[in-house]
Amino acid sequence: MTVGTWILVALLGGTGSIARFAVDGWVSERLGAGEFPLGTFLVNLSGAALLGGVAGAAVTGNAQVLAATATLGSYTTLSTWMLESHRLTQDDQLLIAGANLAGSLLVGFAAVAAGHAIGAAL
Amino acid sequence: MIEDCLKLTAYFAERERSGDRFLGEALVGVCERHQLLTSIVMRGTEGFGSHQVLQTDRLLSLSEDLPMVLVAVDSRPRIEAALPDIGAASAHGLLTLERARLLTGQVDRVALPEDLHEATKLTVYCGRHERVGRRPAFVASVDLLRQYGLRSATAVLGVDGTAHGVRERAQFFGANAQVPLMIIAVGSGAQLQPVLPDLAALMERPVMTLERVRICKVDGERLAEPRLVADSDETGLRTWVKLMVHADHDTRHAGRPLFVEIVRRLRAAGARGATVLQGIWGYHGDRAPQGDRLLSLRRHVPTTTIVVDVPERVLDWFAIIDELTDQGGVVTSELVPAFHARGAWGETGGLALADRTRRP
Repeated sequence: MTVGTWILVALLGGTGSIARFAVDGWVSERLGAGEFPLGTFLVNLSGAALLGGVAGAAVTGNAQVLAATATLGSYTTLSTWMLESHRLTQDDQLLIAGANLAGSLLVGFAAVAAGHAIGAAL
Repeated sequence: MIEDCLKLTAYFAERERSGDRFLGEALVGVCERHQLLTSIVMRGTEGFGSHQVLQTDRLLSLSEDLPMVLVAVDSRPRIEAALPDIGAASAHGLLTLERARLLTGQVDRVALPEDLHEATKLTVYCGRHERVGRRPAFVASVDLLRQYGLRSATAVLGVDGTAHGVRERAQFFGANAQVPLMIIAVGSGAQLQPVLPDLAALMERPVMTLERVRICKVDGERLAEPRLVADSDETGLRTWVKLMVHADHDTRHAGRPLFVEIVRRLRAAGARGATVLQGIWGYHGDRAPQGDRLLSLRRHVPTTTIVVDVPERVLDWFAIIDELTDQGGVVTSELVPAFHARGAWGETGGLALADRTRRP
């Protein structure tokens, strides 16, 4: 990879995390006052669908690095998903913690598959 | 010795700035400059202010601007001398002044003033790693308070503050031995009076305050309505009312943590703010003192939820809290003689304190 690509990785990586911040914050402020961490859930879900789309469209080379690894990789977050699940168990909200863990896994997998199908059809 | 003092409390947001510094830092800076006897900044775990945006450490994206509370105690002239600087530092937030009795040094058997007999809130200020033998001083103090039958005790850790006029700030690396810690306990005057000398003897340089409160509810049993108006000897300016709910992470309402429900319902009903402080050790009602346990996912630490408002609205908030504390919690009310709220919306109240007129 060239220096130019690394600089783009840094810029798009930053853009991805700002997008997460914005989406998560927007969702949490409006809908997230309940127990379920909806902001992180929707971020991971949309990121998974988009990443599926990038893979389905068979994007390769630098374009793949920039779209998939840099942008979507920094947009989605495993650590926040885990932290908020752990935080739920601290409040003894085991059902919601389980729903967050299993739900993100199952729905996320389905989102990748759907994104992949759409990307391939384009 | 026992003397009259003032307690200044500031409620503000963690990311609120004052010039080129965070407001919390600026406020402790004022306390340091004025060498106030004791001050402590605590980081809340959940709450909202007049802007109505919920902040909670339950969600990462809503935990970037948590509520903060600063408490500073000293004699009335010294607190009043610091007030202009405190007011100049903070453009947004709530400031309150409360009267208290201050106990320092060796405490012999104290005769409690008459107005403290109904119920009293005791606040003990000490260092985080102060020890009594091999136990932390706050654990020994909470045990002692429970032995004497007080209704609740909650130890809350500060992140910054001053002790005897000297700055003590928590650092990421470091022993943090003297980082301030505050224990809030509630009980009747009769329960409290004998515990004070023993409690003072536990500490190297004890600083304690006593304030008059009313215990409204204990473990689901309703004892009294909040006290809303000052006695005739305190009249002059209008007063506000502070409600506090001492509970813990295990206290529930309808299967959800009590403090989460209180904050949610108060916000939905249009309260102008609420703050939840999370302690590290404590008890309420009949329960044994507890904190978090190693290898336990569930949290067991105590929580204290605070609401301050005008008397007319406090009754509405008390009705909500009364409904939610069906399974536990100690609810107290106290009068706040001076209250000054400021925000982007404007301001209300002021910090002029009514002079106590003499009893007839």
